[in-house]
Amino acid sequence: MDGQIVIITFLTIVGLGCGVAIYLANKFLPEENEMLKKTEEIAQFLPGMNCGACGKPGCFAYAGEVAKTTTTFSTHPCQTFLNDEEAVKSMGDMLGMELSGGEKKIAIVHCAGDSDVLYEYEGVDTCKAARQLSGGYKQCSFACLGFGDCMDVCPVDAIHKDEQKRIVTIDPEACIGCGLCAKECPQVVIEIVPADMPQYLACNYTPRRDIPGREKCDLGCIHCRKCFKVSENGEVIWDKETFMPKFDHELLLPAPAAIEACPKDVILKRSSSKKWK
Amino acid sequence: MNELMALFLSMALINNFILSKFLGLCPFFGVSKKLKSAVSMGMAVLLVMVAASVVSWLLYSYLLEPFGVAYMATVIFILVIASLVQIMELAIRRTNIQLYNALGIYLPLITTNCAVLGVTFINVREGFTLVETLVSAVGAGVGFTLVLAMMSGIRERLEIADVPVSFKGMPVAFLVAMLLGISFLAFGGMV
Repeated sequence: MDGQIVIITFLTIVGLGCGVAIYLANKFLPEENEMLKKTEEIAQFLPGMNCGACGKPGCFAYAGEVAKTTTTFSTHPCQTFLNDEEAVKSMGDMLGMELSGGEKKIAIVHCAGDSDVLYEYEGVDTCKAARQLSGGYKQCSFACLGFGDCMDVCPVDAIHKDEQKRIVTIDPEACIGCGLCAKECPQVVIEIVPADMPQYLACNYTPRRDIPGREKCDLGCIHCRKCFKVSENGEVIWDKETFMPKFDHELLLPAPAAIEACPKDVILKRSSSKKWK
Repeated sequence: MNELMALFLSMALINNFILSKFLGLCPFFGVSKKLKSAVSMGMAVLLVMVAASVVSWLLYSYLLEPFGVAYMATVIFILVIASLVQIMELAIRRTNIQLYNALGIYLPLITTNCAVLGVTFINVREGFTLVETLVSAVGAGVGFTLVLAMMSGIRERLEIADVPVSFKGMPVAFLVAMLLGISFLAFGGMV
């Protein structure tokens, strides 16, 4: 019993001593450098999760760059910060300049995951490794492979695996649109789009001939152009290179007719978009 | 004086912290990609090692031993080193911004570095005096910096060397570490 009391008192005393020492150091040391003060003020409005999507090593380093020159906002945009209207406003007030928030963006997966399996892959557990073997274990070599390389880089854990379909899904509520997943994905199946995108194509299959994988996936674009034909106001743009429908990223027109017309139901409506009201 | 010199050499080369004691291996591989960052890391470790050794020596000789609680050295040292690093970071940041930028993020990283904790324990275990403690801490820090700088120099060259694909990056770094370790064996028996 005695020994325990000694240990507890000792640790308490030393711990308190350390705390007091840090407090005193904080109080009696000279003031901080001007630049550093500014950096710290800027840093408190940044997301602070050090995802590195802006290209700087962490939020504090980013703040340091901003403190030097405010053009950093446009040369190395921090999407997460620009999504947050309040933070953008307070930062603008603090720096005494007009800061426009820019558009909120999110990531979407261009795959519905219905492709049949070509062979059972039992290798290294990453998409990058899996795609080395004839473009992945799925019939469709454009599909999401669902090993979750993107999950590892996501700073907010917005990406989840759909074990049944063997694809990943992105939670639009949690996604901050940083774009790290799109850079990581070896299949180039993730795209960063405006958060108010009214619909998107859940397929990544581009070649119009050479369709051995196509009939093995019930939820794939068959390049029939029906969606393009029914949309009269240019809601759907037909991309002649990839032979796929595209949606304008700036106008963000809802295309209910195209969603209705798609024979494979592969144009998915995003009900969370404000454009549907 | 001769003895102190021998102690310094022993800590820096013969009983090198990284290559013979296997302490501080994470920065050895983690921060040894670029010569510049390796040297900053080494300097930061040197600084913290000296400060931590002196403070922990004082604590051990005037507080822990007289009260007969030497067995609590581990936990007390961790506590003290962690807060010491915090204070040092604050002090450097407020007084010398150039030095702070040069040391960068490495200073706070050292809070839990095993090499720093290791040198304090060795000093206490060997029963060094304050001067010997100081010399051994400087020796250990210099040895650490030396090996980190050597490793990063080699790895910078390896980046552009024609290494077999399967050995690129970490595997070849491990091989280099082995060869470095063997070469440091040659210092054995010098003192």
